[in-house]
Formats: sequence, C-alpha cells, structure tokens
Amino acid sequence: MPSWQKWFFGAAFLALACVPAWGQGTPAPPSPIPIPGGDVIPQLFNVFSPGVGAFLDGQDAEPNIITNFKGRVAMGYTLGRAADNKGSQYAVITDIRVYRGDYVGGVSTYVGGGSTSAKSHSTFVLI
Amino acid sequence: MQVPDDAVKITDDTVTISLKNASVVDQFRFPGGAGNSLGIAGVPATLSFDITYSKSGDARHVKPTTTDPLSPFNWAGEMWEATNSGTFSLSYNDGTFSAEGSFDSAGNFGEMGFERNGSFVEDDRNFGEHNRSSVEDELAAKLPATLAATHLARPSPSGPKFRGKIPISELIH
Repeated sequence: MPSWQKWFFGAAFLALACVPAWGQGTPAPPSPIPIPGGDVIPQLFNVFSPGVGAFLDGQDAEPNIITNFKGRVAMGYTLGRAADNKGSQYAVITDIRVYRGDYVGGVSTYVGGGSTSAKSHSTFVLI
Repeated sequence: MQVPDDAVKITDDTVTISLKNASVVDQFRFPGGAGNSLGIAGVPATLSFDITYSKSGDARHVKPTTTDPLSPFNWAGEMWEATNSGTFSLSYNDGTFSAEGSFDSAGNFGEMGFERNGSFVEDDRNFGEHNRSSVEDELAAKLPATLAATHLARPSPSGPKFRGKIPISELIH
C-alpha cells in the first residue's frame, strides 16, 4: 500500500474514532462508591448507625454511606406523627442524612462494566 | 439520592433541605422487597419534605482509630451535636394513598459537621500534619521531638514525595 494511502486511512480511522466521543455530550457525573463496611441486619447494608444505645454503633461511628468523601454531613434520628388521606394515624421514625462535598467516584469507562476513578462535587440525601 | 445543590442550604449553624417530589419506593418493611432484597418490590411514590438541622454545643474532633476499611471508626472530622425537625408529604403515583406529617429529633442522636473518609483519610495518614490519626499521635508522643517531626510532619512542596503507602510499622524498629 502506498504511503499516501496509509496516511489517508489512518486519518479516516482517527476521525471515525472521534465520532462516538462527540455523540456522548455531557458526561455523567461519577457514581459515588458505598463505604465498604456497614451494619448486618440481617444482610450487610453499607450504612452505620451513629449514636449511643441499643442497636447503635457508637457516637463516633461513620455517618456517611459514601466513601472517598470530604465535605459536610448532617444526620439525625427523629420521631413524629402522620395522617393519611383516610384519616389513619401513623407513628413516624426517620433517619435522614445529607452529604455535600467532594468525592472520588466511579465512571463507566470500558465495555463490560470497567470503570475508572474521577473526582466530583455534589449533594446527596439519604432517605 | 443525588439532589440539586439548591435543595440544600448550609449556614454556619444550620443545614436546611427542601426537597420536592422526589421519586421513592414505599417498601412496607425493612429490609424490604422479596427475599430480603431492597428495591425489588414496593410502590412508586413521590416524597416532599423540609428539614432543618441546627448544631449545638462544642465541636468534637473525630480521628480514625483504625485502618480497617470495614470499620465504622476509619474516618476523621469535626462534628457537633445537632437537633432537627421537619415536615413531609408523600403520595403514591397511582393516587391510592397519600399522607403527611411532621417529626423532630426529640432527644434522639443527631450530628452535623465536616468529615473525610476513604482516600481522603489515607491522604491525611500519608501526608497530613493537621489531622493525624490517634495512632500517629501516640507515635509522636513516644518518639523524640525531632524524630517525630521528621516522620510525621507534612513534607515541604519541594521535598521528595513518596508514592504508594508505607505502613507506619515499617518506620519503627
């Protein structure tokens, strides 16, 4: 094959290889990665329960469910009451947590589920 | 779930969430779903709520007491006790059920503050002076001041940078 043909096909291949990248638009933010540990109730859930008392993991237990995280956290257990559209009354127990900060998550990169790490910043709520 | 940044407002003393029509699944029991698997069964619903967390008291400094990645004590931060209260409303997408209510912390545990975990705590361990772990503090107390400073101080920007992780036990003979 003449050298000009090699250059032509090489350039054409590179141009075609760029098309999928152009078509992807704005990349999705990295997916946060769960903490590796957690409570077993009865299977593993990647969440601890900070606090002192029965079924709680201690005052200084990890409040986050996202690993590789640096930022603000707020959480708390609550009690309350609710009423439905038929007038029935309910007791309400909540554990709602907020996370805002930098995190190193995973980005789907390769065919077949391969991923790479990427840093991002976002706000998450655990309901 | 990931939420828009403007759904959460943060000041020095409070964190306020105002979330409207978030998509959730009512799973009836915990752990939910068939075969104790979350997310398999349940009723699609939308949830709106407003919550305000307010911090109180003095900060407590949390340091990692282990390097075990599965431990609940492998993180660092500065946390305050916090109370919170809020209101919520929920309705099934098929319109068969709706409810609304309110709640507050009522003396239960709550906290807010700043935290680092995972790779950010590893960075502290490898290079940090300001947020050393308790293990490193203990080591600093045992070593002569000059030696401790050599091993534990943050390296200068122009100094050599170690790559990878060096178990601190390797430094003690």
